[in-house]
Amino acid sequence: MAQQPGLTVAALALGGAALTAFALGWPPERLGLGTSKFGLRLLGGLALGAVLLLPAAVRPGVAPLLPAGLAWAAIAVSIGEELAFRGALYAALDDLGGAPLAIIGSTSLWTAAHVLSHPTQFLGAVAAAGLLLALWRWACKDLVAPVIGHAIADLAL
Amino acid sequence: MKRAAALAIAVIAYSLAAWMVAPGFYDGFGPPQPYNFTCPPPQAGANIKPSSGHADIPVRVGVSEADSAFTDDGQLVMGFLPGAFVVGGKTTITVEIKPLDTCPQPAGLRLVTNAYHVTASAALNPSKPANLVLRYSNLEPDPAEIYQASDPGGPWTALPSQPGQPFTIVTKQGTATFGYFAAGYKSSSPPPGSVTVGGGQILPILVAVLIVVVVLAGLPLAIMRRRQSGDRED
Repeated sequence: MAQQPGLTVAALALGGAALTAFALGWPPERLGLGTSKFGLRLLGGLALGAVLLLPAAVRPGVAPLLPAGLAWAAIAVSIGEELAFRGALYAALDDLGGAPLAIIGSTSLWTAAHVLSHPTQFLGAVAAAGLLLALWRWACKDLVAPVIGHAIADLAL
Repeated sequence: MKRAAALAIAVIAYSLAAWMVAPGFYDGFGPPQPYNFTCPPPQAGANIKPSSGHADIPVRVGVSEADSAFTDDGQLVMGFLPGAFVVGGKTTITVEIKPLDTCPQPAGLRLVTNAYHVTASAALNPSKPANLVLRYSNLEPDPAEIYQASDPGGPWTALPSQPGQPFTIVTKQGTATFGYFAAGYKSSSPPPGSVTVGGGQILPILVAVLIVVVVLAGLPLAIMRRRQSGDRED
């Protein structure tokens, strides 16, 4: 795979699709994927994207964008992660123990899922991002904005 | 109100957490660990000095074995085929990799990785070139080629290269000689795959555009909602 960047993209896209499979069988509304107030959800996604990127944007120096070849993989993975963690897992934990368990549980498992791919010093930022997205899911009962915000952040960095 | 306050606190907590690590939140598409710079860019934050590397490659029946030499931080990996060295009666070939203490900036080139000096106790067999992989930072533009020089002052020659795993660059045909290695691109042309807007400051521009869109689109929505609630109260 080291010599085949195309395989890396395919593996990431496949991972995103596998994560999406966790959401199968859940009604869209339970996942936070309703279409009411769609403009606001869209706007919320842009706002979340801005918040997620703000620390990198105000840091001095040029922060390069994600290599273009990884763009589709980044979108697939961000959609898959949101559907799996803030969608299906959040809904299941919400049924089990209410919003506090859903927020803390989905954030903890999302952070744990990044332990292998991220050096330790990045896990604080990963956990804080997960908490922010989970709180949005709780406060607005919406997953559209976290999907959009997460995809924007992944496309940029 | 309680929900808005919780979200606001989460935004502040996230901003603080992401500020403490450069470049901030990323989701596994950045390099697996921060790049260790000889000359860190301002946005790098805490930096660890790059590592050196050493390999002892056994020679069996006059043929050096397939092996690799790499720095302890994995930022440079050199792979050798069986018989890659002109062994000349040696029983072991030693390979040394040392990051330079300085950062060469040859005219017309922009090197984005550290420069490494690779030496060995035997020359390479020209018919079996060594494969070279260099990792680079996501804080720098993508390099186009790996460059080689016999002296840090140059001249630096491009080795045909291609992207490897994310944030690595690999030689296509390898190298038949040791020397100094670094990855970069011609400074007269933009780095490959780059989008140069506003002097390369595309991320701040992107975030500013997002904020403007949210404010501009959010204000009419807020006014409409206020009017609707006002109508209901009347």
